[in-house]
Amino acid sequence: MEKKGRIGIPRALMFYRYVPFWRTFFESLGWEAIVSEGVGKKGKIIYFEDSCLPMKLLVTHATSLAGEVDHLFVPRLVSLHPKYILCPKFRGAPDIVRLAIEKKVSILDETIDLRTRKHSYRNAFSKIGEKLNASTKEIHSAFSKAERSYSSFQNEWVDRINRLPTKDLFRLEVPTPVLPKTLSPDEPALRVAFIGHPYNLFDTDINKDILGLAKQLGMRILTSDLLSEEVIEHEISNLSKEIYWSSGREIVGSLFHFLSGGVDGVVFITSFKCGIDALLQEFVKRVLRIRGGSSVPFLVLSFDEHTGREGLTTRLEAFKDVIEERKRQASNDKNPIPNKFQ
Amino acid sequence: MKVTFPHLGTMHIFCKAIAETAGIPYILPPETSRKTLSLGVLHSNECICLPFKIILGNFIEALRMGADTIVMVGSGPPCRLGLYDLVQKVILEDLGLHYRWLTIPPRLTWKAIWKNHEETRELRKELSLKNVLFFPYALWMGWRKMTFCETLERLAMKVRARETKKGETQKRFKSALSWVDEAKTSKTLEEAFRSGRNLLQETVQDFSRIPLRVAIVGELYTVMDPHINRGVEQKLGELGVEVTRTSWFSSHIRRSLRKGNVNDRIRFLDASKAYLGYDVGAECNISIGEAILRSREGYDGVVHLMPFACMPETTASGILTKVGKDWNIPILTITLDEQEIEGRIETLLEAFVEMLEWKKKAA
Repeated sequence: MEKKGRIGIPRALMFYRYVPFWRTFFESLGWEAIVSEGVGKKGKIIYFEDSCLPMKLLVTHATSLAGEVDHLFVPRLVSLHPKYILCPKFRGAPDIVRLAIEKKVSILDETIDLRTRKHSYRNAFSKIGEKLNASTKEIHSAFSKAERSYSSFQNEWVDRINRLPTKDLFRLEVPTPVLPKTLSPDEPALRVAFIGHPYNLFDTDINKDILGLAKQLGMRILTSDLLSEEVIEHEISNLSKEIYWSSGREIVGSLFHFLSGGVDGVVFITSFKCGIDALLQEFVKRVLRIRGGSSVPFLVLSFDEHTGREGLTTRLEAFKDVIEERKRQASNDKNPIPNKFQ
Repeated sequence: MKVTFPHLGTMHIFCKAIAETAGIPYILPPETSRKTLSLGVLHSNECICLPFKIILGNFIEALRMGADTIVMVGSGPPCRLGLYDLVQKVILEDLGLHYRWLTIPPRLTWKAIWKNHEETRELRKELSLKNVLFFPYALWMGWRKMTFCETLERLAMKVRARETKKGETQKRFKSALSWVDEAKTSKTLEEAFRSGRNLLQETVQDFSRIPLRVAIVGELYTVMDPHINRGVEQKLGELGVEVTRTSWFSSHIRRSLRKGNVNDRIRFLDASKAYLGYDVGAECNISIGEAILRSREGYDGVVHLMPFACMPETTASGILTKVGKDWNIPILTITLDEQEIEGRIETLLEAFVEMLEWKKKAA
């Protein structure tokens, strides 16, 4: 089929959660969806504003696509939850991108705010469809296809994380490897929870492929995707004030959940200058201290553009040693001394 | 019961007046100092914004001096200010400090009033009839003192730019403020204000000078509190610049009560639309809009203040570089954190003002 044109999707921010939906939607409407490549070791990051690394990467990715596509897809993400909001920086993202790209380029910057009906996912994508001159029927069918693609992707997601290299995680054409039924999945010894915003966890330009490194060290990766919303809500149900960032809720809830047991270690991945993480990280630390510490080893890794893979390897290896030592102690002594959390 | 409250510009005069008039015991946290900041820095982390650290430092100092009830204006999404209390409460608890927390609702909704009602249940038992009866009068006194302080500050901003002896206005402004602060009755307050105003007006000024005009925009704590911004307002004034700002304690209260003149804010929001298609929150859009309008009004420059890693203002600062180019107005963004940067700010401002002078001469 003749493609109607090209739509650029920057590989940044919420791309790392919604790409199956976005890609399928545009492709079903007959457009070619182009996803930007990573920056890698040689590429240059564009410093338009003095923000966190994920935002700088959004600008970088969008700029790299600008000349090659008919439209750039940078939605204005206000809220992706019926009650809670996203980081305020996301609200200005399309404007930042527009100002940073000096050339004229069409940006699909429809507002998505699930707290209101006007800006629901369906309405936002209808408007985008209309801008792309699609009929209501076409939009409707593309939307259903996108929904299906997203949910099937979600179902396989947990397996995908552990069975595919990080660079292939979001390539929809790469199927999730299926393990033969006769063989029991060879469960590595260490179960480690990796918590953080999806872009911090899965963008190898930010985290230097920490997940790949962890898998090499024999860790099985768990993420907050494993937990249902009820579990997360339960962990943060009686705070003195409600956390109003949906991503923040997910992070705090899953940190509390995993730090209370069930895993061998917890790694929290954050970007330097992330306002939400900085504040909530302090909150989690203090609450744990008041509760008398956690028996699960906990590592906080803060990334920026200067983070090197070598230092990261050392820290992760040391963390692995701590986990193993703790496990050994626990098996020798049935009553492990709780770690005074620092 | 001993009430305490954080410092924010001249806000302590307002809070103190209320507590004093209503006869509620209070403890005024020591003036924000290097030590206050160090306490805040020690008990938080590097990417938390500066106002958080200073307020936390104020609270720790006040609680150690014997205060037991913290009164703090609440806030809401989207920026971190709305969750200060959540985090500060656990930090204080972790430090083993005992406190009760009273949030003043940022917006008068039923939910907020109910929460306030719950929080004050215990406290109300400790209030005497006199406290309650005098409270409305106390609020009125507080409000009067605050508006007087702000009028004096506005006047000082004008006088400072024309003073012949550097630092004279600041000295006079300080004593005028203390007179207002010390006044106990409505009558003495009126007198204190009038003599304070006279004192400022009597400063020897060079009226032939036409000072440069600069607007200060940005995050409200950094704009309003001279301790947080290391006296940017005063320094600019003493370099011979007439400073304007729209962020005042009273204007923010008026806004949250949905009363008074909000037109300015709407004007700024509208002006920012060309650059920012959505309200990012806090003062982000206002900073951008104000910079544009000030340029149209013929101001010579804009100083944009923000705490390091402030979420809304980081977006604003990126856009402001573009605004400056498009509207041909110099914009100086100063990012503030716990580092001792007073000297650097002074140099920055001196260079900025010199540049403005050249620009004016060339035009």
